[in-house]
Amino acid sequence: MTRAATGGSALAAGAGLPPSGVTVGGAEVGLSAETPAPPRPAGPWYRQMAGLPWILPALVVSVGVLYYCIGYTGFISTLKWDGASPQADRVGAGNYVRMVNDPIFWRALQHTAVFFLVTFAVQVLLGMTFAVILHSQVRLRVLYKVLVFVPVVIAPATTAPVFRQVYAPDGQLNAVLGFLGLPDTNAWLANGTTAMLVVMTVQIWQSTGINFVLYYAAMSQIDTEILEAARLDGASNLRVVGSIIWPGVRGTTLAIAILTAIGSLKTFDIPFLITTGGPSYSTEFLGTQIYRVSVALSQVGYGAALSIVLLVLALLMAVALNLAGKERGASRA
Amino acid sequence: MLELRSRRSRLLVQLLVTLLVAPFVFPLVAMVQGSLAGAGWGNYRTVLSLDLLPRFFLNSALIAAGVIVIVLACTLTAAFGFSKLPLRGREVFFWLLLACLTLPEVVLLAPLFATVTAAGAYNTLWAVIIPVAALQIPFAVLLARNFVDGIPTELVEAARVDGASTWRAFVHVVAPLTKPIVAAVVVLVFISSWNGYLFPLLFLQTPEQQTITLVPQFFVGRYNNDQTKVLAAAVVTALPVIIAYVCFQRFFERGLAAGALK
Amino acid sequence: MLRRRARIAQGIALAITSVVALAGCGAPGSGSDTGGGTTTATDGGSATSGSIQWWSWTPDNDLAEREIAAFNQQYPDIKVTYKKVPNADYTAVLRPALASDSGPDVFTMAAAGTVGPFDVFSSYAADLTPKVSELLGADWKSKVYGAGVTSFSKDDQLKAMPWAKVAAGNMWINRGLFDKYDVKVPTNLAEWRQACDTFRSNGLGCFKEGIGASGFDVDTFHSIVNSIEPGLYQQAATDKIKWTDPRLVQAWSTFAQLQSDKILDAGGVGVQQYPDVNNAFLSGKVPMVQMGSWYSQYATVNSLTAALQGAGVPADTPKVTIAPVAFPDVAGKGNPSTLFADPDAAQAVNAKSKSLNAATTFALWLGGTTQGQQTVANNVDSLPTLAGVAPAWSDIALVDQQVQEPLLKDLYAKAADATEPRSNNLPAARFQAISDANQAVLGGSKTPEEAAADVQSAFDANPVGS
Repeated sequence: MTRAATGGSALAAGAGLPPSGVTVGGAEVGLSAETPAPPRPAGPWYRQMAGLPWILPALVVSVGVLYYCIGYTGFISTLKWDGASPQADRVGAGNYVRMVNDPIFWRALQHTAVFFLVTFAVQVLLGMTFAVILHSQVRLRVLYKVLVFVPVVIAPATTAPVFRQVYAPDGQLNAVLGFLGLPDTNAWLANGTTAMLVVMTVQIWQSTGINFVLYYAAMSQIDTEILEAARLDGASNLRVVGSIIWPGVRGTTLAIAILTAIGSLKTFDIPFLITTGGPSYSTEFLGTQIYRVSVALSQVGYGAALSIVLLVLALLMAVALNLAGKERGASRA
Repeated sequence: MLELRSRRSRLLVQLLVTLLVAPFVFPLVAMVQGSLAGAGWGNYRTVLSLDLLPRFFLNSALIAAGVIVIVLACTLTAAFGFSKLPLRGREVFFWLLLACLTLPEVVLLAPLFATVTAAGAYNTLWAVIIPVAALQIPFAVLLARNFVDGIPTELVEAARVDGASTWRAFVHVVAPLTKPIVAAVVVLVFISSWNGYLFPLLFLQTPEQQTITLVPQFFVGRYNNDQTKVLAAAVVTALPVIIAYVCFQRFFERGLAAGALK
Repeated sequence: MLRRRARIAQGIALAITSVVALAGCGAPGSGSDTGGGTTTATDGGSATSGSIQWWSWTPDNDLAEREIAAFNQQYPDIKVTYKKVPNADYTAVLRPALASDSGPDVFTMAAAGTVGPFDVFSSYAADLTPKVSELLGADWKSKVYGAGVTSFSKDDQLKAMPWAKVAAGNMWINRGLFDKYDVKVPTNLAEWRQACDTFRSNGLGCFKEGIGASGFDVDTFHSIVNSIEPGLYQQAATDKIKWTDPRLVQAWSTFAQLQSDKILDAGGVGVQQYPDVNNAFLSGKVPMVQMGSWYSQYATVNSLTAALQGAGVPADTPKVTIAPVAFPDVAGKGNPSTLFADPDAAQAVNAKSKSLNAATTFALWLGGTTQGQQTVANNVDSLPTLAGVAPAWSDIALVDQQVQEPLLKDLYAKAADATEPRSNNLPAARFQAISDANQAVLGGSKTPEEAAADVQSAFDANPVGS
C-alpha cells in the first residue's frame, strides 16, 4: 500500500476515495478538485447530449407536473384576486411593489437568513459528530441511530403542541431550569427573541437526523485505507476528521446547504404551529407569510408574488452556494 | 472512523454521544406521555378501533410504494446522467429541476388540482402519488448526483473499455455502488410521502381513499383538539416508518460490508 | 449476484403492478358519490333521494353524525357523507374543490373571517331564495336571524341558509373557585384588581387570554371600547371615526393596564386561546376567561368530560361549574356591558352540484326546519338562527343544573336580543390589523398611539368592497 503522501490522484482513482485536498503529516497533498465532469466529446450533438435520455424521466415527471404550477403562480402574481370569485383585477407589478414596501416581508427575510445560518451550522456540526461517532466502535449504535432519526419521522403538526407545552411558562423546560436553580418563570414564546430561538431549536431537533443519515452515507464512501495511512503517519482523531473526513464529505455538505437554504425559505410548519409567526411577526417567515396572505386573507395574487420571489431567491442561493462550493474545491487543488 | 484505543477514550465518546442524543429523546418521551394521558391505553384503543384504519394504512403504504418506485427510477438514472455523461447545459437542466423544489405546498394546491382533475385522477391514489413524486425527485437527484460524483469515473470507463454499453455500465457498475444513498433516499422519500397531509386532504374525497395522516382530524375539534388521541394517532403513524428505517439500516450496513468499492 | 438482481427487479415489477391495480380500484369512488338516484344531471336530480357530500369545519364528527341521523329520519333516501376539514385548512382546500366539477354538494360558509368566508365563496353558491320561500312561506325573512340573512345574501339572492349564530362580550367564571375564596364577581376595575389579588395569592392565575393568534383578544378590546362609550367600536369599524381617536387610544391603554395591574395573566402574547387558555380554565387553574356563547357547551356534562379527557387530565379531576358573567365596567362610566352577535355559519349549495335538489333539501333542513335547528340548539355550542327554537334545557345534563340552567337561559335570551355585530363587518385584513395592534400593545413593542395609527393605515389600505 502506498503512502498517502505520494501520488494522491492515483490513490484516489484506485481506491475510490472522493478526491479532495488531503493534509497528512503537515504536508498539503494536492489532489484534483471534485470529480471533473466527463470531457465533452467532440462531434455530433447526440454524443454531446448522451446524458439527455437519462435525465428525461426526472424532467418529465417533475418539470412536467410542476411547471404549470410555476407558470400559473407567475400569472396570478399579476392579479389582485381572492382565488375564487370570477372577477380578478390586473395589477401588473402592483403586488411586487407592495412587497417591497411591506415591512413584514423584509422582517421575514431577515428571520429566514438568521434561521438558515444558525440551523445549518448547528445541524452540520451535530450531524457530522453523530455520523463520525456512530461509524466508530461505540456500543448501542443502532439505538442511537434510531433515536437521532425518529424526530425526522414525526410530522411537525403533531409535535408542535408538545413543544408549546414544553416551552410554556409552566412547562417542562422551566421545570428543569427551576430544578437547576435557574429562573423558571420565563415565557419563552411571549418574547420575540426567545420565540425565534425556540423555533430554531425545534427545527434542529427535527432535521439533524436527516443530516446525520446523509453524512453517514457519504462517509461510507471514504476509503478506510486512507484513514489507516493517516494514522500510521501519526494523525490524531481530530486531525483525521478535519483533514480527511470533512473535506471528503464536502459534496454532501454543499447539498445540505442548498437543501437547508431552500427549506429555510419555505419553512412553514414549525413557526406556524408553535408561534403562528408571532408575537407581532417576530417569527414570521416567507412560508408563513405566504400561507397567511393566501389562505387567511384570501389575497392570492400577493401570495403568488411572494412565492415567485421565494423561488427566485432559492435559485439564487443554490447557484451561489454551488459556486462557493466549487471555488473551495478548486482552491484546495 | 474514529480510532478509540484506550478504554477511557471509548467511555468518553460513549458519554459524549449519549449527552448529545438525550435532548432528542426528551420531546419524544413527552409525546408518548401525552398520548397516554387522560384515558391512558384507551387512547390507543380508540385510535386503533377506527373503522377504516387498516384501509388508511394500506392507502398510505401504496402511495409511499408508488412514490418510492417512481422517484428511485427517475433519480438514479438522472444522477447518472448528470454526473457521468456528457450533457450540454447540464447545470441549466439541473436548476430547472431544482426550481420545482422551491414552491410552498399551499401555493401548489390550486394549479395541481386543475392538473389532477384534468387528468381525471381526482379521488384516486395517483392524484397524490404523482405530485409527491414530482416534488421529491429534485431533492433526491441533488443528493444522488452528489453521491454518484464520488464514484470514480474510471470505473465506468473501465467497464466501457470492456465493451459494455452505457446501460450495462450503469446497471452493473454504478447502481450497486449507490446502495448507501439509495437507502437514504428511500427512507427520506418514504417519510415525506407517509407524512403527506395537504395533498391527501385535498385530492382524496371518500374515506376509502384516505390516508393515515388524515386520522388526527377525527380528533381535532372546531375549538379544541383531543390532544391525547392526536398524539396516540401520531405514534401509531410513526411506528411503521421507524421500523422501515431500522430495516433499511441493516440493508445499508450489509451493502457496506460487501466491500462494494473494491 | 444475478439472482439477487433478478429478484429485486421482480419485486419492483410486482410493486408497480400492485400499485397500479389497487390505485385503479380506488377510481369508482368518485363516480358513485355524486351520481345520485337520477340519470339526468342537468335538472339537479331528485329532491328526496340521492347521495351528497357535505364539507365543513364544524361541527365535530360525532355531532355531525347525530344531525345526519336526525335528517335521515325525515329523508331516508338521501345519503349524506360528511367531510370535516380542520379550520386552518378549510379555505385552502375548498377553493380548488369548488373551482372544479368534483366539489362538495353542500359546503358551509362563514360570514367573514379566514375560514370559508362568504365574500370569497359566494360566487359558487346556488340561489336558495325560491326554495326557502317554499319551505318557510313568503315571510321567511321574519323567521330567520336578520343579520344572517343580510350577511349571506348577495344582490337579493340568499346564497346560504343561516344555520348558526354566535355571541360574545361576556365572560365565564369558575363558580367553584369564586365560592371557595369568597370572591365577589367584579363589576369594575377596582373590584377586579382585588379579586385577582386574592386568586393570585392562592397560587392561581386570574384572567387568562391568548393575545393575537386566535383573535379572541378582539372581543376583549371590543368590550373595553363599549365600556368607554357604547357603540364606539362600530363607529370605528365602519369608518365613521378614526382609530386614532383618543377614546380608542384610551381603550388600548386600558387593555395594557389590565396586564400591568396583574388582572390579565402575564405572557398572553405567547399563549393560544385554544388549547392553552381553554385547558387551564377547564382544569381549574384559572378562574376567569372571556369566551362567548359557544362556551356554554362546557356547562354540559358530556362536552366537559370529553374536553377534560382531550386535555389529558386525570379522569377524577373535579368538573368545574362554569357560569357566564358580564364584562366588568372597566371605564368606570356606568355603561352596561352588552353582547355582540354574528351569524356564525350558513349552509350553501354548490351551483355545479349534480344532486342540486337533494343538496338544497339538506341545506335548508339544517337551517330552516325546527328539527334541524333543534339539533343545533341542543348541542349547545351554537345559537340557532330560526326563530322560536331554543335548547331543551331540561333534557340536557348540566354539571350543576340548578345554578347553571337559569344563567344559561338568561345568556341565550340576551344573545337573541343582541343586534351589534361582533366582527362580521370586518374583512380579514382589517380584523388582523386590530389583533396585531392588541399584540403589539400588550407585547410592549408599540405604544397605544402607534398601534392606533397602524390600525388606521391598515383600514385605509383595505377599504371595504375591495
